[in-house]
Amino acid sequence: MIERLLGLTRLARRTPPAVGLTPADVVHRENKWRLLRYRPTGGGPGDAPRHRTPVLLVPSLINRHYVLDLTPGKSFVEAMVARGHDVFIIDWGTPAAEDRFVDFDEICDRYIGRAVRVAARVRDREGDGSGGKVHLLGYCLGGTLAVIHAAAHPERIASLVALAAPIDFDEAGIMARWVRTKSFDVGALVDAMGNVPWPLMQAAFHLLRPTLPLTKAVSLVERAWDDEFLDGFFAVERWSNDNVSFPGACYRRYIEALYRDNALVTGRLSLAGQPVRLQRITCPTLAVTFEGDHIVPEASGRVLLDLVGSADKRSIRLRGGHVGAVVSRKAATTLWPQLSAWWIEHDCANDGPAHLPGAANDSP
Amino acid sequence: MSAWKLWKQMFDAWESTTADFMEQVLRSPAVLEPGGAWLTGMMKLKTASDKMAAGWWGALGLPTKRDQERTLHLINQLHSRILDLEERLEGAERP
Repeated sequence: MIERLLGLTRLARRTPPAVGLTPADVVHRENKWRLLRYRPTGGGPGDAPRHRTPVLLVPSLINRHYVLDLTPGKSFVEAMVARGHDVFIIDWGTPAAEDRFVDFDEICDRYIGRAVRVAARVRDREGDGSGGKVHLLGYCLGGTLAVIHAAAHPERIASLVALAAPIDFDEAGIMARWVRTKSFDVGALVDAMGNVPWPLMQAAFHLLRPTLPLTKAVSLVERAWDDEFLDGFFAVERWSNDNVSFPGACYRRYIEALYRDNALVTGRLSLAGQPVRLQRITCPTLAVTFEGDHIVPEASGRVLLDLVGSADKRSIRLRGGHVGAVVSRKAATTLWPQLSAWWIEHDCANDGPAHLPGAANDSP
Repeated sequence: MSAWKLWKQMFDAWESTTADFMEQVLRSPAVLEPGGAWLTGMMKLKTASDKMAAGWWGALGLPTKRDQERTLHLINQLHSRILDLEERLEGAERP
């Protein structure tokens, strides 16, 4: 108890944790978004990535990309680079007032398409690339975007990972219920605000678990003596309060087509004028869901495997919540090795399948 | 069992029950409908006041905020189209 009290008195003097420290280079810049490529560990000529197919990470539009590169030792990106993967990530940046006109097609078709092509080209130029293909991983809303993009442009995707990605919006919980009410007018919201302000979205997310701030406060008191816990806690808190607004035109389509019409599942969605059919995804596909995920319920993410046309499709179901299960110390021993094994197994240089520990095989 | 552990157990039980109850309340159309109506009303009010302000700017012959946003967006789109063309050119030059 005394340790706890002493820990609490030290909280005010704690410096905010540094986040997103894995060294990276900007390989492309367009409007507000950037494509980053992480440098290999060590940085020497012998430390070049060992696997041929680059990995492209697509984070959520409304959160900062550094959730996947939180702090040294708790960074998914750092771990993947250390395992020899050539990792690229989209940093969506901060939309400005003029980006209210940026629509869903622009982001999901043009921007992600460019990121896929640039990542593949950069790798190919080094002489040992994958012939223009990338492993695509999308997290949360980034997963939905990645899946839609893969369905529209399957030719450049070596494998697809949907990490806690909402697919079936009939299963998307309170948020889906709210935006489907007659009184919620998404057009009025976008017309008035331009970009949908992040505090409004954050307030909506807090409604998913209104007791969460209190639970966090109690955890803080309980573990106030544990420096390692506090570093992780404040890093995640920093990230979860560092959000970005949603480009207005894109938000309108996202709500109308996905939340209200559930068009991805029903096959009514189109991207840049072309119909989006999940059946067109034939690359190896992995759906990762979490038991305690209040933001993306398991049922919403797992349905992907019933809809894609892949012969090799698998699921990983882990304990934990939407963020904790991806960035915790436990994730470093459960989720991360499985994702690395998945990419190694499906690397263009590999001929035979490798064992993917813990994954359920849904292949026919 | 320490006093803290006992209190924590009670807190966890309370939190779980309360969170489930709040979820049931928030799922109710009796809460969601008025919430949506309030938000929509506020947004329409803001749009109306923004339009009035833009009308004044326009009457003075000045570009409105929306005009500037459209122009900047078009510049961004032009940049994207140039990048599209560069990619095509690079593809055409490749053997």
